[in-house]
Amino acid sequence: MENLNLHDAAPRPLSSMQNQMPPGPPPVPQLPPQMFTTAAQLLDLTDKKLMVSLRDGRKLIGVLRSWDQFGNLVLQSTVERLFVQHLYADIERGLFLVRGENVLLLGEIDLDKDDYVPEPYELAPVERVFALKKAEDAERGRVEKRRQRTLAGYGFEGEHAGEAIL
Amino acid sequence: MAEAEEAGGANPVNEPLDLVRLSLNEVVFVKLRGDRELKGRLHAYDSHCNLVLGEVEETVYVVDEEEDNDEDNVRTVKKQSEMLFVRGDSVVLISPQQ
Amino acid sequence: MLFFSFFKTLVNHEVTVELKNDISIRGTLKSVDQYLNIKLDDITVVDELKYPHLSSVKNVFIRGSVVRYVHLPAAAVDTPLLEDATRREASQASAKAKQG
Repeated sequence: MENLNLHDAAPRPLSSMQNQMPPGPPPVPQLPPQMFTTAAQLLDLTDKKLMVSLRDGRKLIGVLRSWDQFGNLVLQSTVERLFVQHLYADIERGLFLVRGENVLLLGEIDLDKDDYVPEPYELAPVERVFALKKAEDAERGRVEKRRQRTLAGYGFEGEHAGEAIL
Repeated sequence: MAEAEEAGGANPVNEPLDLVRLSLNEVVFVKLRGDRELKGRLHAYDSHCNLVLGEVEETVYVVDEEEDNDEDNVRTVKKQSEMLFVRGDSVVLISPQQ
Repeated sequence: MLFFSFFKTLVNHEVTVELKNDISIRGTLKSVDQYLNIKLDDITVVDELKYPHLSSVKNVFIRGSVVRYVHLPAAAVDTPLLEDATRREASQASAKAKQG
């Protein structure tokens, strides 16, 4: 997969699929079909500094060194960034292999804005941010539980039962 | 069985998603996970229940926590969207509207 | 395949992707794949101060499974064409199901 090139042949024939769209404006003729694969999308991000948002709410910042078709990722020089209230802190984490299903999104960091954190967030000691974060997560869990219980009475079911969000 | 096959294309409801097919270009009600409901004109669907709806009204159920009361207050927030793709894994039910 | 093809016709249009964790990200649709993973360029985040981790991000790859909605420009969608394609896909799917 790593050696895949945008000029390689598409992994499987896409012509049959194009027949399914009725005549009319053809689907984006200027782009070759192999642009529309997971591999092509991740290829662009290889060796870039990324912000990776995980399903449990963690934010990792690191350099994408490898990946596969499942979206499993290898991140180098990873830092975990915690945000709470108007504070943030970084924790050095090193080398990570992240299983694809836990990834919410990957964001390429604009190197012109590198390490830009908007006002009013300011850097604070890890211990302090970590403690506040823990309290905030506990409170969010409590509110979420109560909300689920109330809405269950209206016949609703949670979107991601048991999972933390953000 | 043979009769059902015969009736084939033009026909009524043989499998669940046929009901959805009959709702194409009609207004449908969609209930979603995550305390949401939609009402809109159905333009597309597939076997995962991915949908495209037009002129959509979304209703979100929001809970306001009442400090001194065990019964929380539930209110609804309405949002409009001209065209909306809905991911099928959130869909709980689809119902034709008169 | 219907929605994969459909999203390909929307490449280079402005869309807003609403995730299941309530973040809404607006940007130019750059790419989509068979899982409906989505790539957006030149993003802006609705309610950005609530999501400071996205401030220095210029483009995103969003995993298809975390998408709740994609808000689309109605002008870019040919609805009769889309309905025809849907009917065709539905009949193909049921033919396949009958074959077993």
